[in-house]
Amino acid sequence: MGIALEIHRVCRDVVRQHGPGRIESVRVAVGELTAVEPELLRFAWEAVVADGPHAGSTLDVVWCPATQLCSQCGDVKDRTAGSWLRICPACGRPLEVTGGDELDVLELRFTPDDDAGGASAVDTQAHDRGDSP
Amino acid sequence: MTQVVTVRRRALEASEERAQALRRSFADTGTLVVNIISSPGSGKTTLLEATLRRLTAGHHCAVIEGDVATERDADRIRALGVPAHQILTGGACHLDARQIEAALGAARLLPADILFIENVGNLICPTTYDLGEDFKVALLSVTEGDDKPFKYPAIFARAEVTVISKIDLLPHLPFDLAAVEEQLRSLNPGAAILRTSATTGEGIEGWCELLVKRLAAKRRATGQE
Repeated sequence: MGIALEIHRVCRDVVRQHGPGRIESVRVAVGELTAVEPELLRFAWEAVVADGPHAGSTLDVVWCPATQLCSQCGDVKDRTAGSWLRICPACGRPLEVTGGDELDVLELRFTPDDDAGGASAVDTQAHDRGDSP
Repeated sequence: MTQVVTVRRRALEASEERAQALRRSFADTGTLVVNIISSPGSGKTTLLEATLRRLTAGHHCAVIEGDVATERDADRIRALGVPAHQILTGGACHLDARQIEAALGAARLLPADILFIENVGNLICPTTYDLGEDFKVALLSVTEGDDKPFKYPAIFARAEVTVISKIDLLPHLPFDLAAVEEQLRSLNPGAAILRTSATTGEGIEGWCELLVKRLAAKRRATGQE
């Protein structure tokens, strides 16, 4: 629920930058190692936006599986789902986590209040504070 | 018309910025901050009581307690003469940096040598939230079962210290200590693993020594020795 609130805060911030409007959908990346359950996050989002101006908007979760790399053996493929190993099961070297830590707002679709018809794409990456992973 | 905006921002960016601001202020005051995380009933408050009894003679300590309801934990700490502030989350299962900021504004906890933050009893959500701490401590009591590190890997991978508590109950339980320590090492080879019993006092001295050493290291690193 706390994470859904934080996502909501980021989205309201983006909507504010682009003029008033109603959120239709939000795409978020959720990594396997974040201990966030996509189904629960979608449910929490519904609760967060309920009764507000963005009620009925949806949260689309892009699931990012954990990937780990060993400097000697490469990708660790025989990892148990959800596990987070620090040493290579084959050679004992330290592993680097190369995926699965994501918890990012990727994309927002919204309808500006004073608008009808058509579609446009805006890229705010230039305004980013550079804190994407 | 529908606008599609590419965002690419961390969901927790505001929370992470607040945590970094807290970390800078704790560095300025030379306060060691320890975020204690475990499931409910692992003995976080009891470990704190035993720790404070030992440490308060030479160190100023303060405690922030996080619970869904009741002031009970803060009352237990105050009974030892240690300043404590209770955060009531009203249902939320973790603390966040905003709540720590508010607690520091509401209660005179600083200056302190060591600030303990006892998180809400939960092995999952508190793992994700940075509170500006120097390190996280995970508590695992022997009554919880010896399969927990692999079942909740994120916390044990992120905690620099794991305390295996209630070690005095070991003779009465089918708890494979060696297997647990092996799981912990594979999740986090650099972490310290301590065995404690607040009842018998076993391991409490070693835990307190670790805290004092970490405090001294932080003071050296921030030029406040």
